[in-house]
Amino acid sequence: MPKDSAQSSSLLHGTLDALVLKTLITGPRHGYAIARWIEEATDELLQIEEGSLYPALYRMERKGWIAAEWGVSELNRRVKLYRLTPQGRQELHAETEQWARFASAISKILLPA
Amino acid sequence: MVRWLWKKKVDDEVDEELAFHLEMRTREHIARGLDPAAAREAALRRFGDFEDVKNTCREIGRRRDSDMRRREYFSELRQDVTFALRQLAAHPGFALVAVLTLALGIGATTAIFSAVHAVVLRPLPVPRPERLAYVFGVWRGSPANVSVGDFLQLTAEQRAFSRLAAAQYSSFNLSALAAGDSPERTVGARVTASFFSVFGVPPARGRVFGPDEDQPGKEQVVVLSDRLWRRRFGGDAAVVGRDVRLNGQPYRVLGVMPARFDFTADSEELWVPIAFTAAQKAMHDDHYLTVIGRLKDGVGKPQAERDLEAIAAGLRRSQPKEDSELRFQLDPYMEQLVGDYRTRLFVLLGAVGLVLLIACGNVANLLLARGAARAREIAIRSALGAGRGRIVRQLLTECAVLALVSGAVGLVLAWWGVRTLVALAPEGVPRIEQTALDATALAFAFGLSIASSFVFGLAPALRAARGSVSSTLKEGGRGSAGTARDWLRPALIAAEVALAVLLLIGAGLLIRSAIALQRTRPGLDPTGVVTARVSLPIASYKEPERVTAAFDRLVREAGQAPGVQSAVLFSQTPMTPRGSSNGLIPEGKPLVLESVVDTRMNLVTPGYFRALRIPLVRGRAFAESDRRGAQKVMLLSESAAAALFPGQDAVGRRIACCEQGPNGGADYKLVVGIAADVRSRGLGEEVRPEYYLPLDQAPPEAWDWIQRSLYIGVRGEGGTAALTPALRWAVAAVDPDLPLYDVKTMERRIGDSVATARFNTLLLALLGAIGLLLAAVGIYGVISYFVTQRTAEIGVRMALGATPATVTRLVMRQAAVPVAAGVAIGLAGSLLATRLLAASLVGVGRTDPLTLTGVVVVLAAAALLASFVPAQRAARVAPVTALQG
Repeated sequence: MPKDSAQSSSLLHGTLDALVLKTLITGPRHGYAIARWIEEATDELLQIEEGSLYPALYRMERKGWIAAEWGVSELNRRVKLYRLTPQGRQELHAETEQWARFASAISKILLPA
Repeated sequence: MVRWLWKKKVDDEVDEELAFHLEMRTREHIARGLDPAAAREAALRRFGDFEDVKNTCREIGRRRDSDMRRREYFSELRQDVTFALRQLAAHPGFALVAVLTLALGIGATTAIFSAVHAVVLRPLPVPRPERLAYVFGVWRGSPANVSVGDFLQLTAEQRAFSRLAAAQYSSFNLSALAAGDSPERTVGARVTASFFSVFGVPPARGRVFGPDEDQPGKEQVVVLSDRLWRRRFGGDAAVVGRDVRLNGQPYRVLGVMPARFDFTADSEELWVPIAFTAAQKAMHDDHYLTVIGRLKDGVGKPQAERDLEAIAAGLRRSQPKEDSELRFQLDPYMEQLVGDYRTRLFVLLGAVGLVLLIACGNVANLLLARGAARAREIAIRSALGAGRGRIVRQLLTECAVLALVSGAVGLVLAWWGVRTLVALAPEGVPRIEQTALDATALAFAFGLSIASSFVFGLAPALRAARGSVSSTLKEGGRGSAGTARDWLRPALIAAEVALAVLLLIGAGLLIRSAIALQRTRPGLDPTGVVTARVSLPIASYKEPERVTAAFDRLVREAGQAPGVQSAVLFSQTPMTPRGSSNGLIPEGKPLVLESVVDTRMNLVTPGYFRALRIPLVRGRAFAESDRRGAQKVMLLSESAAAALFPGQDAVGRRIACCEQGPNGGADYKLVVGIAADVRSRGLGEEVRPEYYLPLDQAPPEAWDWIQRSLYIGVRGEGGTAALTPALRWAVAAVDPDLPLYDVKTMERRIGDSVATARFNTLLLALLGAIGLLLAAVGIYGVISYFVTQRTAEIGVRMALGATPATVTRLVMRQAAVPVAAGVAIGLAGSLLATRLLAASLVGVGRTDPLTLTGVVVVLAAAALLASFVPAQRAARVAPVTALQG
């Protein structure tokens, strides 16, 4: 199954990165927690696909937006925790603005006042 | 190995992370009521292709790690470089001494390398230059030009060359182009039509000769070199298609060759076709062609030589009279072009490399001394967790920074050095004027800097990193990093001394040769003699009578000019290696090739020996009565007389040479006198047999051999300033269209003939002096350090009754052992190294005892002085202060 054919079609290209960054703004989380948080925050509306999530995490780590370190989970397991870097915070800011502009443009057409 | 470790780490990381995720999802599903197997199944399904996701993550992870390592490396490098620069700035004294020492070495080496690159290493700017080769005839062991008949045979039968061409180099009178312009003499070549295609260089403008243009009647066309075109025609493109006058004849300009075809500054400047007459084509005993060919692809030298030998064997059979001893020899074009300058330049490069090594030795010494002072800093760093490798890297980075700064300063020195080298270089070094600090030289300087940073930095860095943390810190940072087992410093002294010995022996041998050259008698008295050359164009001076008349008039006019005491003509000027020779056969020997003695010819007017003050050993000089029609006479040089009539008196004997006798037999000439030997080919060259003919009795063919060109020499007052105008005036009186060229005093000619040797001697002496100075500084540094380290011990000894003399001896003994070892190593090495100098040595052996003793004495004196100064300081140590310190 090709990686990019995410059936969660509502996840526009690039938005996954922004969502992950947003998730980390409150503090370090591991990959599963990130996925769960997004799912819960959207009332299970957005299904995060692991096939996209983990490569995205590694990519952002390489870009320096997030940093990883090993910690201990609630279940006393060794887990890889991701945290936001200053660079990632900037990126989140930029992505959010871009999303707002995009959403308002779409809204003007689909939901005219 | 390291890569594998990293890979393992990333793989584990991904596996563990994904496993955790899977487990959490599975729990989630179980909590929702699925049975464990189905729950795990569902969790896996969410991944899509689990393996694929895992591999993608691993791949990105590996790239992330290598990015990180690179970033880390560069950030550490930046830290190290910043730290190194700060260190240099903090110790300006050290920095200045080290940078200047290294800059001197790197700069000098780069300058010499640039010259080596320009002259020797750079390929000729033609396609596949390594396929170009000369074909020479070999006559009695030495290479000779090829006769027309032999060349045609070669062309017809050879299979080794894709193209073969012949050239006859000669000079041309280029007539004035406009009124007020003066005629010019320039070197050109008559070449076969195939000449340019051998080199594979197309003309820049116009065209070169077509295949049928080297036929008689069509040969009045010319191709110009870029150099001549710019100098003489101002780079005017319209000159193609116009006529120029060469040797009084009109020649149509066909084309202009590109600048890159001017291989050397004194290469030929124009080319005209060579057209062989039927008579010339049958000639096998007149050797004047230079044969150049391009070897076919895949044909090696041995195969080509076999091919040539087969042709030579055929000629030996078919032309038994002229070619019975014929052999051919193949010489790569570059080898001929560069000649013995390859060895000379590599010797210089080696010498300058030795200086750089000595400089590195000194900087290593400085670093060792500083390393001891820095032991505490390094101990702290390693206590704070820096690994030994990391510390060595940091120290080596410091060295590299130091070397690169020095390299940059060195480039300034090299730039100046290259200019000086080109300006001072003796004439005739091919392509040296093209020496430049180009990209290759810059790359060389960069590489050299990095390499030297390892040479001088590695040992001190390793030593510094080895010092153990606890002992250094306990010693209170006095940093006496193990004085007991300090073999490194004496070893450095020994190495520096050995290198200096090598340099000094080389320089010493060359200086001894120069002295020997200075003492060599040229065989003539050059004072007050000015010489110049005059050539008559064949167009207006075809008949030998006209030539003789013109030269007769010239010598008479010159003799009457103001300030001139005597004026003479001669066909070969002393002190040039060029010149034609003839085979002489003494009477009584059969007229076969085996009896021939190859003897250099000189046609002279009667006053020649008196004017140049060449002593007459026996018999008489030429007289005005030795004219055409009278008894044919000749003079021999002493060595020629000895070669032709060993153990007998040559005067009164007869010799066959040069022309056919009245009835087709040999033409005998009577030896009337014997002149002392002259160093005709140059002061440093061996004397070769010579014979003299009175100009008036020269065989008519002789004018073609010497191309109607003679030297005129005048002895008189006032040097070139007074005598050159007199000569010009005399030439203009004979024919205003004749250029006078190659005007030089005889003293200048003697000087020029040893200019290369003198230049080499000067450079090597300079390098030897620098090497000696640096080695002395090195010894001084090490002994000073020793004294500083042992101040306390010396104080105790003095308190216990040691006298200043004992202390001085103790200190100087420290220098004596490594210096003695270095001298021994240097002497042994010189036995090998001086082999390279063998060709440059005149009148002195490679193991000249005087030179070797001299070098040892000079070095011992320098070492003594360099260690005496710190020893004196040690002897003045007051026991109390020493113990308090």
